[in-house]
Amino acid sequence: MSSVSEYYKIVEEVFEKYKDKEFLFVGRHSQRWDSVEKIKGKALYTADFARLYSKLVYVHSVRTKYAHALVKSIDTSEASKYPGVLKVITAKDIPGINDVGYVIPDQPLIADRKVRYVGDIVALVVAEDPLVAREAEELISVEYEPLPVITNPLDVVDLMTLKEKPHVLIHDERGSDILVHYKIRRGDIQKAMREADVKVEGVYKTPFQEHAYMEPEASIAIPEPDGSITVITSTQCPFDVRRAVAKVLGLTLNKVRIVVPAVGGGFGGKEDVANETAAKAALAAVLTDRPALAVHTREESIIGHSKRHPAIAWYRHAAKRDGTLLAVEANVVMDGGAYASLGPFVPWRATVHATGPYKVQSARVDVVRVYTNNVYAGAFRGFGNPQVIFAVERQIDLLAEELGMDPVELRLKNILRVGDETVHGQKLTEEHGVGLEEAVMKAVEASRWFELRREYAEIKGPVRKGIGIALFYHGNSIGVEGADYSSVTLIINRDGSISIRTGLTEFGQGAVWGLALIAAEILGVPPSYFKIENTDTSATPDAGPTVASRTTVMGGAATVVAAYKLRRRLNEVASHILGCDPDEVVIRAPEVYCSSDPSRKTKWVDVIEQSFWLGVPLQEFGYYRAPRASWDEETGQGAPYITYTFGAIVADVEVDIETGLVKVNKIYTAYDIGKVINRIGAELNAEGGAIQALGYALMEELIHDKDGRVSNPNLSTYYIPTIKDTPEIIPIWVEAKYRKGPLGAKGFGEPSFNAVAAAIANAVAHALRVNVTELPITPERVYMMLKSKQRY
Amino acid sequence: MSKVGVSHASWDTYRDIEISFKVNGKEVKVKVKPYERLIDVLRNKLGLVSVKGGCGRGECGACVVIMNGKLIPTCLTLAVRADGSEVLTLEGIAPEGKLHAIQKALLDTYAMQCGFCFPGVIMTSKYLLDKNPNPSEDEIKEVLDGNLCRCGSYLRFVKAVKLASKYINEGKIFFDESEVMR
Repeated sequence: MSSVSEYYKIVEEVFEKYKDKEFLFVGRHSQRWDSVEKIKGKALYTADFARLYSKLVYVHSVRTKYAHALVKSIDTSEASKYPGVLKVITAKDIPGINDVGYVIPDQPLIADRKVRYVGDIVALVVAEDPLVAREAEELISVEYEPLPVITNPLDVVDLMTLKEKPHVLIHDERGSDILVHYKIRRGDIQKAMREADVKVEGVYKTPFQEHAYMEPEASIAIPEPDGSITVITSTQCPFDVRRAVAKVLGLTLNKVRIVVPAVGGGFGGKEDVANETAAKAALAAVLTDRPALAVHTREESIIGHSKRHPAIAWYRHAAKRDGTLLAVEANVVMDGGAYASLGPFVPWRATVHATGPYKVQSARVDVVRVYTNNVYAGAFRGFGNPQVIFAVERQIDLLAEELGMDPVELRLKNILRVGDETVHGQKLTEEHGVGLEEAVMKAVEASRWFELRREYAEIKGPVRKGIGIALFYHGNSIGVEGADYSSVTLIINRDGSISIRTGLTEFGQGAVWGLALIAAEILGVPPSYFKIENTDTSATPDAGPTVASRTTVMGGAATVVAAYKLRRRLNEVASHILGCDPDEVVIRAPEVYCSSDPSRKTKWVDVIEQSFWLGVPLQEFGYYRAPRASWDEETGQGAPYITYTFGAIVADVEVDIETGLVKVNKIYTAYDIGKVINRIGAELNAEGGAIQALGYALMEELIHDKDGRVSNPNLSTYYIPTIKDTPEIIPIWVEAKYRKGPLGAKGFGEPSFNAVAAAIANAVAHALRVNVTELPITPERVYMMLKSKQRY
Repeated sequence: MSKVGVSHASWDTYRDIEISFKVNGKEVKVKVKPYERLIDVLRNKLGLVSVKGGCGRGECGACVVIMNGKLIPTCLTLAVRADGSEVLTLEGIAPEGKLHAIQKALLDTYAMQCGFCFPGVIMTSKYLLDKNPNPSEDEIKEVLDGNLCRCGSYLRFVKAVKLASKYINEGKIFFDESEVMR
């Protein structure tokens, strides 16, 4: 079909046209559209709408007492009679299908037959006063038959054989607690191992990490007169929430409207939990015929939404004496907790990236994701990649030590460059944009690597210093995980102002502002003319989920398509007004003129007014679907992603060996993200990702006790970095342009997190001459490492 | 909520108490329950939704306001405590159509991300600048240590407070809103 290739042609044509041009708006500093309303405190987040509904009722979730048990019976009669309680909802009240699973239907909204983790809900109490609802919880009696609780994923599978161990199944209905198993098989691993001069191996562990977005989950559902329902909610994926709510209520999709106001952070955590909160509010609203608010306390948020998957990874690397990497073997077990969430996909991304951004001739990689009775794991910035980066980058440093080479030197010997094949057999070309070597060189130079590496090694006394490097690559968008499309509607209003509508949702980092900058550049209209509409499933086009760092690269491509088509039409109209060729029309709103004769000019608003009367459409819909990715399930060979973002991180740290405290002084972040579109957004994302990853490296760890209860479910026991922990962060940009991307851009949402913790770990290892195998590197772990001095 | 001590009497049996206090320069009278938190009264009864609830335990700093010159977490403050006091929230730090120096400085340093922590960050920064118009970097970090920002705009907060300090010392406390977008 010719229409299918049209959008590819447009995106590539626009890339070629702009590649050597000076940009007016793209890559420059600009104030995002919502900053003034937010700075004044006027921006409304979901819970802020509550006061607008006078008949509002509150939905309180009654959660299970046990992390693993059969639910024998539930009696809500007393609670239902409690003064002020409007309704107690249990599984049998659900009109549609009792499931809110994001990828596979394994997660009931309200547990009926069994509970699988401490966040499982057994009933909802609806009352006019939230305190009454909480009080009534005491009157509900649930009869449980407790089952053995599994909190250690290695009680489900063996790390070395990856065989399932006998245990009481958590998902007995599935017949196995191994959710997925992904593989890479490349080359002759046995031969490579025999021929190797050097081998290093180790087991690496990374923790559960909590998103800790500042805005806890909230949903307000409003019953509409026609039997449909509107839900205001805090989510990254309104179209997926719509599907979940429709399913639970038994409604068609057009009877469910999801509106997303300002969102107070997501980082992947608000991909699927809104399925639950929106469905809870919607259910209560429908059953009471009143607007209903479901808002989580911080404790509920922490125990009740997905986390970063913990991983236990065994790795063996083999190399020649000159440092050439010959083979990588890996077994990785990811703890998925009680439900699948994004679990079918996260381990796939971990598998694809399991050998790091290196040329690897032979590889055997096996990654499994198992169910346990822990809080469920799902999407979190990096999506499986940070876990394997930590293991791989520690291994590379061990290998360097073993070979007596500098870690940078060893990496440069093996990194992917244009013309190389990835471990999947995907050949990297100029078209992909491969800027890893440049990123390494720039990070090394800026950080004075070689000098400090030597200098720090000499330091004695109580405060030691270290410098470490870590590299990564990150496949763009969702690859073979699903249909990878996006869409954008551009609307030029009669006064010349422009509205952008897209289902790609703003949840903090301002990625959608990049779409305005792209449209501004192509149309010739300053960013201040643009407004990004809030996502609303009844008004904004479905653009797929706002995940996988896809807003700029995928939404940007759709924006290029829409803006290009609009621009062509406007050039035609302007050429009639100005009397010059359409190709000579220059738009620099508020002016429009001919390049051949700038004195022939008109106004942007006049071109818009003329277009309106001439019947030239002032709206355009842009659609883009990524070129297909490929993946062989048995061998892991193919072309899993359309392109890759690359990066090199250098961390400069000091460790007090008397207190065990690690302090990060500087982080150099060199990223190849292709063309930088939204420069402020990129800088903020580089800083924010680094700080979040510093938390992952040094302090963040959600802890379950043996009964599956979370020991640190609030912000005074689960630590996240504060302003005092924040080091100097030095962003460095490399622009190896992706020719099929919008103006050469690649994705950057998640990559800002990826390799920072690994770089910090390598720096700590350098400072202390110990082997770091586990995150976070808390004072206790520093003490234990020093005590056992595993290496050096 | 523990079963112990709860008689299952309706919460409505608690009588209302009328309190009066000054919010953002205006006298208000409002009926509250003895157990009501100041955050809920400010948000739900007075419509001051810049006061954000992030943790309910005084751990995140999103709900702080200035009460009688002190910075307080409104989630840990009973509304009755506000009786007779003077409370300042983000809504009241600049006249209509104007931005306070700290707001302008946060825009100048391009600090905005999700914005949820901003009301608390702005009130904390204003509190600091009121007490100390020339804070050092360490003093800024010490005071803002209680304001969690998960998007990680911390480095820009430090720059913004320094810049706001400069503005204030130059006598520039308020800026026209229309000047800031560019």
